[in-house]
Amino acid sequence: MIITHYLRWTVVGLAILFSLSRCEKSPENPVLDPYPETSLDANGGTWKTCVLKSGSEIPVPAPIPPTSSVYQLELEDLKRQMAAATPEQKRLARLWGGNAVLRWHEIARELAAEYNVPPNYNPDGKTYPDPNPNNPAVYPRFPFANPPYTARALALLAVAQYDALVAAWHAKFQHNRLAPYKYDASIQPLIPTNDLPSYPSEDAVIAVASRELLKMLFPAEKEYLDRMAEEHIQSRLWAGANVESDLHAGRVLGQAVANRVLAYARNDGMARAGDQSKMDSIRADAAKRGIREQWHSLDIPERPAMLPLFGYVKTWNFDEATKIALRPPMPPMPGSPEFERDMEELRSIVKNRTREQFRIAAYWADGPGSYTPPGHWNRRAAELIQEKQLNEIRSARAMALVNTALHDAGVTCWDVKYHYMIMRPTEADRSIKTSTGIPNFPAYTSGHSTFSGAAAEVLSYLFPDHANDLQAMAKEASLSRIYGCIHYRFDCEVGLEAGRKVGQYAIQRGRTDGSQ
Amino acid sequence: MHNFYQILAMLRHYFFLPALLFALPTIYAQLPDDALMMTKGQWCILTQYTHNSWTNYWEGPTRRSNLNLGVVTTQSAMLGFDYGISRRLNVLGALPYVWTHSSASYLQGQRGLQDFSLWLKYQPFEANVAGGEVRLQATGGLSTPVSNYVADFMPLAIGLGSRTASLRGIVNFTHAKGLYVTLQAGHTWRSDITTDRDAFMYNNQLYYTNRMPVPNLFDASGRLGFINARLQAEVQMSYFTGTSGDDIRYNEMPQPTNRMRATTVGLYAKYFVWQRLALQAAYGQVLNGRNVGQGTTLSGGISYLIGTSRR
Repeated sequence: MIITHYLRWTVVGLAILFSLSRCEKSPENPVLDPYPETSLDANGGTWKTCVLKSGSEIPVPAPIPPTSSVYQLELEDLKRQMAAATPEQKRLARLWGGNAVLRWHEIARELAAEYNVPPNYNPDGKTYPDPNPNNPAVYPRFPFANPPYTARALALLAVAQYDALVAAWHAKFQHNRLAPYKYDASIQPLIPTNDLPSYPSEDAVIAVASRELLKMLFPAEKEYLDRMAEEHIQSRLWAGANVESDLHAGRVLGQAVANRVLAYARNDGMARAGDQSKMDSIRADAAKRGIREQWHSLDIPERPAMLPLFGYVKTWNFDEATKIALRPPMPPMPGSPEFERDMEELRSIVKNRTREQFRIAAYWADGPGSYTPPGHWNRRAAELIQEKQLNEIRSARAMALVNTALHDAGVTCWDVKYHYMIMRPTEADRSIKTSTGIPNFPAYTSGHSTFSGAAAEVLSYLFPDHANDLQAMAKEASLSRIYGCIHYRFDCEVGLEAGRKVGQYAIQRGRTDGSQ
Repeated sequence: MHNFYQILAMLRHYFFLPALLFALPTIYAQLPDDALMMTKGQWCILTQYTHNSWTNYWEGPTRRSNLNLGVVTTQSAMLGFDYGISRRLNVLGALPYVWTHSSASYLQGQRGLQDFSLWLKYQPFEANVAGGEVRLQATGGLSTPVSNYVADFMPLAIGLGSRTASLRGIVNFTHAKGLYVTLQAGHTWRSDITTDRDAFMYNNQLYYTNRMPVPNLFDASGRLGFINARLQAEVQMSYFTGTSGDDIRYNEMPQPTNRMRATTVGLYAKYFVWQRLALQAAYGQVLNGRNVGQGTTLSGGISYLIGTSRR
């Protein structure tokens, strides 16, 4: 019968529609491909370290000589492991065989993005729960990886990697035991070869130092980080790049350096940065400076201020006195022509925000759920390092310079924010509607501008052929906060300039670290 | 055979806002999805105003409100048409202007022209059975954003920014006394979109790209109604689900990658003021969902018929 015929046809059609709808959609991520290392930086072991006194501070025992029968056994074992490697293990060998410094920064940025979510308010609708470092996996998970937290985290990671690699380089050129494929021509590594001494393994050093720092910073991720580090270290066997004793010495050294940096981190002032009990005195001090209309949280319910004492966290590239000297003067006060001019600019943007202004504000927003502005510049640094194909120790140096500058920018900016307690534009005029979330801390100076000024300055020093576009990016990042209407122009201009000054101190470190 | 007035009834479903599922999971199905056809040479023009608002929404499986959003309201004004190429083949189009608002947030509401949609509707078969008529139909549609609106600004975005293509099957039985029932199901393919940011979290993983996947969509609905020369009234239930995608992260804003799902009930009434002119009103309520607002929708519209019936 014709009706059943058509009905059957319909049912088949619907079934096809339904099965078509099963397919999964997912974006692809770029992979850091391995590249040959063009320079060995044989004097890398003498470069000036950040936390260690020097690259020779932690002694590394002499390796078994390549002529020994024990080493020959290690070579045999390596060949067995290579022959037994599965396709997945070979893929991992290539993945980790790229720039491992950058791979670990990628992991750090991913964790930052995952943990950068402000806690929801309690069911009472009045208060907020506090992330608890002693119970990190329970909501609200610890940490809330906001911009200052992430800036500090990336700096600590970068410093640990850098100091660990300087120490590794020192031991490498002290002992001069080369890679296994230099002693046995039958070993065909899966990644580009080089003449770098392979004892201790720089990859094991990076893996363990990175793992230990990230475990402290993201304590609920211990299992994931252990897995990543083991994968990284084992991948050197599958790749044919290290023997077991290279890796073992690297593990021990990486752990020793990490312990020093962890000790530094435990005493850098971060533990009390979120202390809200000082808010009354902070407000009173700002009032004494003549700031009557002060910042208040615009979240509903009113959220505790973000890390009001982060401005007291230790800086990397200058001292406390310099930090205070870097403090900009008071901004224009409401009622002054300068203030009204900058407010008028925001009012006109609210009325007629262009699509391009919206795009710029969104591109640089780096708000909740993102790796934050320090993460944005960390990524840019990684891209430039990848483009210039720096070796591991030079990559670590570049990352240390950029990320300590970002950390210092965060500290100086937070110092200024809670020094003056300047209200957000929307507090001055409730008709100022934004195109991005209003951050939960005072306006002056702009954090994005300070971070961006510092990072662009250091990256321009490291990659001078990109100086123009880096400075343009920093300028755009700074302006993005005006386009989003969450900052006055004076916040951004003063912040950008302060950031550049902060960057100069990192450059000073770079110029005198012995890497030239 | 087609009731002359009945023809007008179809348009209400055509002018859905395909992109706005977070804001408007309403009584409107996703496409031309009822069973009525224009005859050859006829035009029908529809204008419609829609108001959707919600306070509660589903963050993943969890229903919640957000003091920092308050009430989120999406309104639209839409112009649409249906043209009979032949008795068996119609072409339909729609273009909405949308504006959004949040009562508590300082985020600026968005406004603008959203997506232009075009459909072909084909009726290969009809037959008289059991004192009425059975019809089978298929529609295929395309849509594209017509302005460069910001899609990655949910829940205040005016649309998802995707280009879409859709296929749909419809079965209708209308009894000679005026009772009718319509069942339909369809699939919508949606293109990735280019966002202003160049990194985002998706399925709890960070991706370094500005190409954001927007889930495809499966939907189905059923409606039961009565129609005569003056009045039409209908109850309906509809369901849609993204076929991939992630949940809104806890205490985060939604984004176009989210897998949205909703079950909605609705009422619909239409009054024929004159042979060519009809007024219509609709009400819809989301009962259950995932990654969507629990929206309440009210809409009102006027449709006008141009051209003669060939009956």
